[in-house]
This record gives sequence, structure tokens and C-alpha cells, in this order.
Amino acid sequence: MKHRSNTFASPLGPKGAGARLLATVHKYWFIYLLAVPGAVFLLLFSYAPMYGILLAFKDYKMNLGVWGSPWVGLEHYRSLFTDPSFIQAFKNTIIINVYHLLFGFSFNVFLALMINELQFRRVKGVIQTCVYLPYFLSWVIFAGLVQVFLQAPVPGDTGGVVNQIIVALGGEAIDFMKEPALFRSILVITNIIKTAGYSTIIYLAAIAGVDPTLYEAAAIDGGNRKDMLLHITFPRILPSVAVMFLLQVSQLFLSNFDQVYNLYNNFVLSTGDVLSTYIYRISLGGGAEFELSTAANLLLNVLGLIALVFSNKFVKKLDVMGIF
Amino acid sequence: MERTAAAGRYRRGMRQRFGFNFYDVFVTLFCITFALVCFYPMWYVFVASITPYEEFVKGGLMLWPSGGVDLQYYGTIFRNSSFVTSLWISATKTVVGTLLSLIVTSTMAYAVSKIHVPGMKTLNVLAVFTMFFAGGLIPTYILYLNMGLIRSYWVMVLPYGFNVTYFIIMRNYFSYSMPKDLEDAARIDGCNEIGVFFRVLLPLSKPMLAAVGLFIAVGFWNDYYSYMMYIANKPTLQPFAWVLRRVLTDSSMMSQMRTGALDLGAQLPPPMALRMATIICAMLPIMCVYPFLQKHFAKGMLIGAVKE
Repeated sequence: MKHRSNTFASPLGPKGAGARLLATVHKYWFIYLLAVPGAVFLLLFSYAPMYGILLAFKDYKMNLGVWGSPWVGLEHYRSLFTDPSFIQAFKNTIIINVYHLLFGFSFNVFLALMINELQFRRVKGVIQTCVYLPYFLSWVIFAGLVQVFLQAPVPGDTGGVVNQIIVALGGEAIDFMKEPALFRSILVITNIIKTAGYSTIIYLAAIAGVDPTLYEAAAIDGGNRKDMLLHITFPRILPSVAVMFLLQVSQLFLSNFDQVYNLYNNFVLSTGDVLSTYIYRISLGGGAEFELSTAANLLLNVLGLIALVFSNKFVKKLDVMGIF
Repeated sequence: MERTAAAGRYRRGMRQRFGFNFYDVFVTLFCITFALVCFYPMWYVFVASITPYEEFVKGGLMLWPSGGVDLQYYGTIFRNSSFVTSLWISATKTVVGTLLSLIVTSTMAYAVSKIHVPGMKTLNVLAVFTMFFAGGLIPTYILYLNMGLIRSYWVMVLPYGFNVTYFIIMRNYFSYSMPKDLEDAARIDGCNEIGVFFRVLLPLSKPMLAAVGLFIAVGFWNDYYSYMMYIANKPTLQPFAWVLRRVLTDSSMMSQMRTGALDLGAQLPPPMALRMATIICAMLPIMCVYPFLQKHFAKGMLIGAVKE
């Protein structure tokens, strides 16, 4: 196609490929110049590391380098799938992500609908300021807040507010951060508090695009506000909800390293260790299983790509309107 | 905007018609409760960090600073030398990194927005692909080792030079939000490509660059990952976010700080109080720029991220 159109376009007769390239570069040299720094950074810091993925199939020897080290085939994958802590981390990742999807995702939609229903503009503004705020704090800070809040009382230190309330009500203090049974709930709840406000933005934008005459028509027909919410607002944002849902499903194998790493400790490894923390822990974070870590990371990336391709297919099938 | 205004007018009318009912009470209560859940932890930590020792050990909900304001915990942490060093490191890497990232990312975003230029489609696909596929921890570490970046200051700056997320936002901005006629008009008036970029595009996109720069800066300020992975143990290069992490988790750091306070004759400060004061120090710069951040992303600038 390209070749033919080019021959037609140049009445001076067929040019060589090199001459054409030269002409293009000459015409757009400034655009190419602007692209160079970004392209160099992309190549150096995003693509060059991909070469090291070979490690997943090699027995790495520091002195031989990545290429020189001997091939071992799928050896690392064999040991990966027989490693109980990998299996555990894999399970935890999926379970935690399903929880995020069930509770976190539905809460986000609900919160957006509720914020939209607020009647007083000033109250709405204050509430939005409060709920967006945690998104901008890093997980280190936020995890610090969570720990301070849930702290169990120790001699010489008061416990966190939650435990003070429990004790004041006559209960027994709980060491929340060291309780494996509670850890996943803590992850889901802290994630809701930190990101729910931010996630409402997209739905609020979709709601703002709903035609107001629909509400007027409903009011004339005698509908109350609850009916309008269920039969006008909600169906109108459903496409955005579906897209966000699929996007989150596509991240089923990804885990939030920042969140888990800052909240977990050795007491809750059984329920809290996820793939990204596992990959860190067995390599730079104390272990020396460099090839195993690379192999796990490659597996994670490939699974993530597959999930992404599938959910993208569904997104394209949806008749999506508005912001997308 | 007109639509929302109309909807607002209409809704105010609705309220007059139906009065303030149970539905409104539920909605308002729900939103206020969640807003409090988001806000109260920060407020609690702030109040507790300025409460004098005698009041602090009593505990309580700390709704308001009782017994006066006492900044002794802040004095204690700022007397710690690694605190001051880390603040300096974080500040410089934030400024240098943000400038670098803005320049590298925005120039390429502009180039790729000229999608008719041969090669730009490929470059776009190559850039977006890195969102979903990366070399991983160890390959990256080995590469940085060969590049001599390990245990150097620049490992906290250079790898973030090109930022895919903001690349997509800026590319969409250049392709959809820029008035094309203006560019054409400049060309007709005899402006070349360079002139179009420097005299038309850059002045027009200043607000966008400022907003994206702010978000990038928050990212640099919060980043401790690059230090943890690629430097790990070099006190002179610690960023503030890492010191915060150590104060929260590392008991040796904590005891060092507490004994530092003891040397000065103050009573042994409770670890919790020091943690809280550190958290507030880390939050402060973000709180200062928060009004601007909120303004930009509430306006929906970041929604452009999803638009393809």
C-alpha cells in the first residue's frame, strides 16, 4: 500500500528507499529531534532491562554475564511451581484482588452516586476535598497512619484510637497488624479509604453528562429521587462502570507492592504475601534467588498481558459512549 | 458546564417541592461519615503530634489540642542529622527529576501527537507497551549495575525521566485540546515548525505543564522504591520517604532518635509521638500543593488518561 502510494505521489519517478527516508527526515527533522530524548530514555530504562529476562531460563553466574551463563530451560519454573510460598503468594494475590473487586469496586460506584445526590454545593465541596485527599499521600505515610491508628497498647505507649475505644467499651485490645485473619480485610478497607474518592471522579464526570431533561421528564411523570437514581443516573453510568470493571479484572494478577509492603510483616505472611512482595523478598529483599524472581516476574507479566488482551476485547464489544 | 448548572437549578427546585426527606438524610450522613473516615486519621495524628507529653499519654480521641501546643517532638526529629540530610535529598531530587521528566516526556508527547509523521505510530505503541510489560526487578538491577547507577544519586532520578502515564495524558492534550487552527495560522504567517513549537504550543500548554509537573513532583517526593531497591544502604542519599519508613518500622532508628532527645534533657519521648510528628512532616509539602492538585484533577484533566 505504502509503496504504491509513494510511487504515485512522486512524478519524478521511483526513488530509492534511502532517498525517501532522507526526504522524510529532512521534512520533519524537528519533530524527530523532539522525540529523541524520550525515545532514548524509553530504550535505556524500559526496553534494555527486558534483555535480562533471559535470566528466567539461565543459571546466572556473575562473572559470565547474562548471555554467557548456561541455559537451564524451564528448570526455574519447575522449582517455582513446587515452592509452597510461591503458590501461597499466587493464591493470596488472586483472593485479595477478588475482594478488591467485590467490595472496593462496588463501594466506589456507590460513593459516586451518593456524592452526586448531595444537595448542598458547599457540603459537597468539603466532602470531595476530604475524600480525594488520601489519594495523594504515599502508601508509606498512609500505612503509618494505619499503624498508628490500629496500634496495640504496649507498656510505656498508648495504643491506637481503635484499641483505646475497644478497651473503653470493656473489650480486649487486638493487635490488628499481627493477625493473619484480619490482614486481607485491612488491605481492602485501607485501599477503599485511600482510593475510593479518586475513583469517583470518572463516574461523576459520566453523571455530569446525563441529559437533565430526562430528570425533568421523570419528575413530571411523578418519579421521586430514588427512582431517578435507579432508572436514570445508574443506567447512564453503566458503560463507564463496565469499562472500569473490566480494567480492574485485567489486573487480577497484579498486586499493589507499595500497599502490601508497607503494611505487612512476618506475622501475616500466610495471608498477606502477594506476588510482587514475593518477587522482592526472594531476591533483593534478603534472599538470593535472582533467577527464580525473574522467572516469577516474567510469568506475572505474561499472565497480565493475557488478562489485558481478553478484557480489552470485551471493552471493545461494549457500546461505550461519553468519556471513553 | 451549562448542563450541570441546569441540573443544579433543577435539583434545587426539586428540593423545594419535596422538602428535606429521609433520603437526603441518609445520603448526607453516608457521605459525611466516609469523609470523616478519610480525614480523621490525619487530623488525629496532627493533633497528637502537637499535644504535650502529659496529655498525650492519657490517650483519647484528640479532637482538639488540649493542654496547649507543644512542638517538642518536632524539635527532636529535626535535631536528628539524617532528617535534615534526607529533606535536602528529597527536595533536590524532586526539583531535578520533575524538570527532567517534564522535558523528556512532553517533547516526545508532542512529537507523537503528530501521528501523521512516519514512525510516530510505532513509537506510540512502543511507549504504551511498557505500561504492561517490564523487565522486572533483577534484570533492571543488573542493567543499572552495568550502567554504574547502583548506589548513585541518579538512580533516583534518571529511570523516571520518561513517564508513560503522563506521556499519554500530554499526548492526548496535544492531539485533542490544542486549537489546530492556531497552529495553521502561525504556519501561514511564515512560522516554521520550531517557531510553532516554541511560540504557539509551549505558551498555550503552560497550565497543562504546570499541572502535570505538580503530579510528577508529588511522585518524586513520595518515592522511596528506587532508594530501597538500588541504593539500599547509604545514609547520605536517603530520601525523606525512606527515613519516614525507617521511623515507622526500624526500632534502631527510633531508639537513636529517642536517646538524642534524652541528651538534651527532655523526657524520653514516646515512639508513637515521634512517628506522628514524622508523618506530619512528610505530609506537609503535599498538603501545601493539594488545593492545586485537587483543582486540576477535579476538572477532569486526568480523565484524558483513559481517552484513546
